[in-house]
Amino acid sequence: MARGGVILEVDGVGKQFGALAALTGVSFAVSERQVFSVIGPNGAGKSTLFNVIAGLHQPSTGAVRFGGRDITGLPPEAVNRLGLAKTFQITNLFPEISVLDNVRVAAQSRAPESGRLASLWRRPDVDAAAVGLLEAFGLGRRREELAENLSHGEQRYLEICLALATAPRLLLLDEPTAGMTPGETRDATALIRRIAEERGLTVLLIEHDMSVVMGISDRVAVLHFGEKIAEGTPEQIRNDPRVIDAYLGGADD
Amino acid sequence: MSKVVTWRSAVVFAALAALPLLPGVPRYYLLLAFDALLFGAIAMSLDLLMGYTGLVSFGHAAFYGLGAYATAVLLERGVLSVWASVGFALIVVGLYALVVSYFATARRGIYFALLTLIFAEVVYTFFRYTQTFGGSDGIQGLPDATLFPGVAIDTPARKYYLVFVYLLLAWLVCRVVVASHFGRVLVAIRENEDRARFLGYNVQRYKMGACMISALLTGVGGAIYPMRSAFATPDLLVWTESGEFIISVMIGGLGTLVGPIIGGAFFTILRDKVSSVVDWYFIVIGLVLIVIVLFMPRGLLGLRRLFRGRPWRAAA
Repeated sequence: MARGGVILEVDGVGKQFGALAALTGVSFAVSERQVFSVIGPNGAGKSTLFNVIAGLHQPSTGAVRFGGRDITGLPPEAVNRLGLAKTFQITNLFPEISVLDNVRVAAQSRAPESGRLASLWRRPDVDAAAVGLLEAFGLGRRREELAENLSHGEQRYLEICLALATAPRLLLLDEPTAGMTPGETRDATALIRRIAEERGLTVLLIEHDMSVVMGISDRVAVLHFGEKIAEGTPEQIRNDPRVIDAYLGGADD
Repeated sequence: MSKVVTWRSAVVFAALAALPLLPGVPRYYLLLAFDALLFGAIAMSLDLLMGYTGLVSFGHAAFYGLGAYATAVLLERGVLSVWASVGFALIVVGLYALVVSYFATARRGIYFALLTLIFAEVVYTFFRYTQTFGGSDGIQGLPDATLFPGVAIDTPARKYYLVFVYLLLAWLVCRVVVASHFGRVLVAIRENEDRARFLGYNVQRYKMGACMISALLTGVGGAIYPMRSAFATPDLLVWTESGEFIISVMIGGLGTLVGPIIGGAFFTILRDKVSSVVDWYFIVIGLVLIVIVLFMPRGLLGLRRLFRGRPWRAAA
């Protein structure tokens, strides 16, 4: 474990897409068992940041360290195997197999057979873990349904179940409550907080809706036009004039 | 393992095993049954890629044809053992498939189909237009293979049992693989390969694994073909052969294993029956296929839904 309990360190990360600078010199550190949120208006570079951390994009500058290890430029499957799981802003499931099979395939990713020749003939029994997860998210009774037939809210939960099934140490949630009603959003944030505590997880959360973040975050960073303009406790962020300006000022999406 | 063989499949295989024992089955029909089961087994092997992994290979003719040439080359030189032929075919097809699957799985979507096709066409061109292996005539007039010294596979019934055992073993391999850890990942790749990566799976390795299993099973099928036909020609390597495998999978029902066996057998028998009546048999077959694809999107196996109220479901 890294010194000072830092689990994830984003160090001067920049990302260029051609002439467009999506991220410029973004740095922050996430401590273990924290809920750390990155907020910012649409187009601030939040999802790009997540994609750099999770291994989809190679950063143009800077480095990402996870548990003291440099993971910059590792492919997504390698990053996941180190214990960093990501959910997606746009629901990204296995649509035409059952809800339980969705979670099974995620859970067996950590079975001893995984990646070995024996995986060709053995089938690890991950049903207890998979059903347990589904029940924690209220999907237990929907387990035989095809994933594509779930409601939007249920799909958002299944999305989180898939990531959790790979037994991560750090969970990256990309706008987990996107498209939910205010009531659903409240339930979902409470549930995420509870499950993170139960499992001793560190959570890195992306949101554009500030109200979601304030209730559950230990620490918040604000991105604006690809740069970090503030970082602090939810209280500090709420009162930061630069943040208020970014959200309410003329520079909208 | 207990779920791999159901009582119903056991009955079907027992019936297939009993076929040559029926009194008065003409040798012509036993050899047609050979072709039907061989085609079915290869379609099933392709289904591992098409139905489970979501990859369409337009190059299975190369695996099939290379397997056939492997046997032909040995039989021609007096190496008659079935085991030697199968072993040699596994090596030849395995090496070729390793190269093809490495490059083809590095790309996605249509590129996979195109790369498998291009590689297969290169193989076809080599066998067809060089004299190394007999050119357009291929290798003809081969002797019968032997199971053990002195036990020649020389009667239609023995040939039939050869393909029957091949089908049974290939089916068991497919069933075990589909039900395994590996098989679950293949279905996940078919459904959403990007997400599979974010769950820690090296997608290209799994795709390559599926290609290799499918190619090797197809190669063994190719290896036993000259033991019935006594020849191997470049026609086995043409891309239309790959197309017929694909059509058989579609006819039977994607992602069901049993469906493509039925599809391949149905296709073989239909072709045989129609071509013995008219020359333009492919038009008739084409019409039948259009009807099946349009009105039976789940293939022939989808017909069972008419008898049971249960929805069709692929794998996993």
